Amino acid sequence: MSFRRYLPHYLMIAPFMILFAAFFLYPILSGFYYSFHDWNGVQTPEYIGLGNYEKVLGSRDFSRAMTNLLWYIALTVPLGILAALGLALLVDSFTGRWANFFRNAFFLPVVLPAFLAATIWRWIYAPNFGLLNVVLGWLGMPSVNFLNDTGTMLYALIAVDIWVSAGFNMVIILAGLKNIPSELYEAARLDGANKWQQIVHITLPMLGPVLFFVFTYGLISAMQVFDKPWLLTGSSFASYGGRRNALLFPVMDMMGRAFGGVKFGEAAAYGFLLTVAIVAVTAVMFGLRTWRERR
Amino acid sequence: MHTMNKLRASIAGASALVALGAAGAAVAQDVTLEYWVYSDFAQGDALALQQEFIKEFTEQHPGVTINITGKGDDDLTAGQVAGAASGDLPDVFMNAQSVGAQLVEVGALSNLYDQWMAMPQEFRDQFDESALAGCMPKPDELYCLPYTGFGSLLFRNLTVLEKAGIDTSTPPATWDDWFAQMQQVKDAGMYAIPDETLVFNSIAEIYATSGDSSTWGFNWEDRTTRIDPEIMTRVLQKFVDMAPLNSGTSRNDQATKDLFISDQLAFHTVGPWVNPTYEEAAQNSGLKYDFVLIPGDEAGKTGGIRSYEMIGVAPGENQQIAFEFAAFITEKAQMARWATLLARYNANAAAMADPEVAALPLIKVSVDAARGAMDVAAPYFVDSVPSCYNSVVIDYASATADGEYTPEEGAKEMIAELNDCLAE
Amino acid sequence: MSRITVWVVLKWVVALTIALIAIFPIWWTINVVFALPGEPVSLNPRLWPTSLSAGLQKIHMIFTETEYLRAYGISIAYALLTIIGVLLIGSLAAFEFSLFEFPGRRILFGIVMLALMVPTAVTIIPTYLLTSRLGWLNTMQGLVVPGLASAFALFMLVQFMRAIPKDMIEAARLDGAGHFQIYWHVALPLCRNALVTLAILTFIQTWGNYMWPLIVASRPEMYTVGQVVGLFNSPLSHHTVDTVMTANLLAAIPPLIFFLIFQRQIVEGVAMSGTKG
Repeated sequence: MSFRRYLPHYLMIAPFMILFAAFFLYPILSGFYYSFHDWNGVQTPEYIGLGNYEKVLGSRDFSRAMTNLLWYIALTVPLGILAALGLALLVDSFTGRWANFFRNAFFLPVVLPAFLAATIWRWIYAPNFGLLNVVLGWLGMPSVNFLNDTGTMLYALIAVDIWVSAGFNMVIILAGLKNIPSELYEAARLDGANKWQQIVHITLPMLGPVLFFVFTYGLISAMQVFDKPWLLTGSSFASYGGRRNALLFPVMDMMGRAFGGVKFGEAAAYGFLLTVAIVAVTAVMFGLRTWRERR
Repeated sequence: MHTMNKLRASIAGASALVALGAAGAAVAQDVTLEYWVYSDFAQGDALALQQEFIKEFTEQHPGVTINITGKGDDDLTAGQVAGAASGDLPDVFMNAQSVGAQLVEVGALSNLYDQWMAMPQEFRDQFDESALAGCMPKPDELYCLPYTGFGSLLFRNLTVLEKAGIDTSTPPATWDDWFAQMQQVKDAGMYAIPDETLVFNSIAEIYATSGDSSTWGFNWEDRTTRIDPEIMTRVLQKFVDMAPLNSGTSRNDQATKDLFISDQLAFHTVGPWVNPTYEEAAQNSGLKYDFVLIPGDEAGKTGGIRSYEMIGVAPGENQQIAFEFAAFITEKAQMARWATLLARYNANAAAMADPEVAALPLIKVSVDAARGAMDVAAPYFVDSVPSCYNSVVIDYASATADGEYTPEEGAKEMIAELNDCLAE
Repeated sequence: MSRITVWVVLKWVVALTIALIAIFPIWWTINVVFALPGEPVSLNPRLWPTSLSAGLQKIHMIFTETEYLRAYGISIAYALLTIIGVLLIGSLAAFEFSLFEFPGRRILFGIVMLALMVPTAVTIIPTYLLTSRLGWLNTMQGLVVPGLASAFALFMLVQFMRAIPKDMIEAARLDGAGHFQIYWHVALPLCRNALVTLAILTFIQTWGNYMWPLIVASRPEMYTVGQVVGLFNSPLSHHTVDTVMTANLLAAIPPLIFFLIFQRQIVEGVAMSGTKG
């Protein structure tokens, strides 16, 4: 009787849930199964317990990829948000047609496919005569080998990252800015607050939820970074990660093990370790938010 | 003249067909073969010729349809690995011998030994010996037919060399001559050579100036590297010496070709595939260049690597007809036409010896280059090379060039780590 | 009349500089395409287009000598079918998850949200094997169907539909509307903006998708634009820089046009997706 009452609800979610079960739950559960097996995709999987996990955790590439990832996240997430916030405040200070123009110009890189962005930037970064080095040359500075010098590679990646994603986050923050009641600013002005004080005491606190969204989303996608470093370093399944593995990241390492080394079991274990890490970080983020709200 | 060549070549091809037709039993029912090649085989003139081969073959084998598909290097392997897992493999395909072991492991390659032995002696004698040896991990196992290949060459920008006051009439005979020229180029304010530590193959090319196939590659019995510490020390020292002279771009970068074309780079060690770009530049912007053998430590020794692409055949019900097709396209008549069209070296020694083919300058040098060169990752088809291997070699070569290790330390640590990597 | 202060000037300089940084790489690509082939970038830095005919010739060459046009067709079909499917299936489910209470609602929604945190690369191989067992390799359904149950779409639409007042649903029910009719005539029109946004984001994402088409559509008849461009980008390809860049630029044109036409909706839609969360 109660089932019949709910039947329309289940019918409506059925298409989604069936496809979700088939193309997400089933793959991820079978991946979980394979992560305990030695498997090359063809032979019958052979159970090896935690062997794959031990192998992954003990490998040099894993610790390298994780170290890179930590640095990358620590830099790209806050810098990306700062850039987006700066752009949003900048666009917000214009009105009418110019505001539209700048907003659209800053957003443009977002719509480009990743492979195009990477190809263009490889040229811009090229040593000696790449666009960037030509500009440095005009300023009398020596050529920098951005994509092959282990000291600059990470920053080169982050710059491309911000170039691509700042516009997206800017637009979200802009909308947040528009939602702040203007009375607040007026009141602050009457109290004698200058522009900077207004930003710190009104804009930022009011943007809190929006910034939380941008931050969390940025964090989750940063942990899955793959295509930009892969393409910028000209990686292939035989050799990836760039000079001295300076741009090796977990998803790259995982794909390499799967398609380069034909070790699907190991790749599956790798994927699970990464997933657990992402879920844990996200849980901490939401936990922090709840804790702050309760306070 | 071009059409004349084509005509003559197709007559040769047709007569070879008759010979081959006798060797294999034609299949009566309709079959479709999926034929995967590198992407540059499926573009422009190369594609037209491949389609001509296919047409000739299918005319002799009614009911057979062959679909040719071009793939980038990586997509080729990834596609085959994924295809093996799902049982949707291409029937006949190109790939590098160096990924052969992975393909054997996932069951994408069938052992062709018996079919090979059933071919006429005359056919079997056509192939380059070292290329064929690469297909045979054991005396009774043959996993591929050698197809195309290369020996690396030294491209020289003559304008740059002349500006640096170097006599270009004879190429450098030894490493010492060559290195002296590099320094002269640097002193004249230009770049001598790309950064050879960035890519595994360019490290191998320089290693080959001191070492050879017996001190490179793998001992699969005890899973150790064959790299010799003493030779590696010497080679790492070369990287240290070259560090101030290089352009900072890798051997494969588009940027390197650009530097070469715009007369800022003197030497480029690479395979013959850059030649079309340089030839075009010679016509458009007056680039003056040539290609010679990479000099070794002593006169007469050649540096550089050789590597062959193979044709493999997947197991399955189409295996026999796929093998026949593979044998057809690797046969001398076809390989001679292929070589003439692209002026590119390949693994059919008989085709390379064809007077018309041998007269092509790029092929002439390539034959010598391949003869003296070092196998890039031999022995093949035994076991898949772990992905850490190449990156360890690159890591230590670049770190030593950066000055983080002395060449002795670098060589020692590199070899220790390579052995760890292989043992895993 | 506002005074022109140092700050105003500085603001304009900064804004224009950043706009230049954002736009210039794309402008530069256009210039590379519309320049004579073989001119080294070091001699002609490609600051403006130098040869219209050379560019047109390259584009003509790519369209006639490669399967680029067919790939366009495949990519557009792939994107459109994905958009339709994602919107329909996602909104049906979002309608229920956001506006109704039924046993299992929280747990099911929670599981789907977990999927947001799993990198696609983790599931790609088993998904591929399943697709192959269904016989869907090299087919349009193989490209499209596995991507339809998008957790992101559900998440976004649920955020929007939560804002629909429950009274409106009740009012419609009292007017005698059936469950599906309420969804179709009340809920969908109310979240039109969200659907447009989602359609656009799905387009951008599908158009740039590389890995999935690569393994599931291995035959040239099913190559997407990304794969065809991949052939040009391969390090050993014979093509010169100009041709490679032409192939890349052609791939960017549909999303760029899409953006220029729908820029207002895109920007507003993206903005909403963030602030409602």
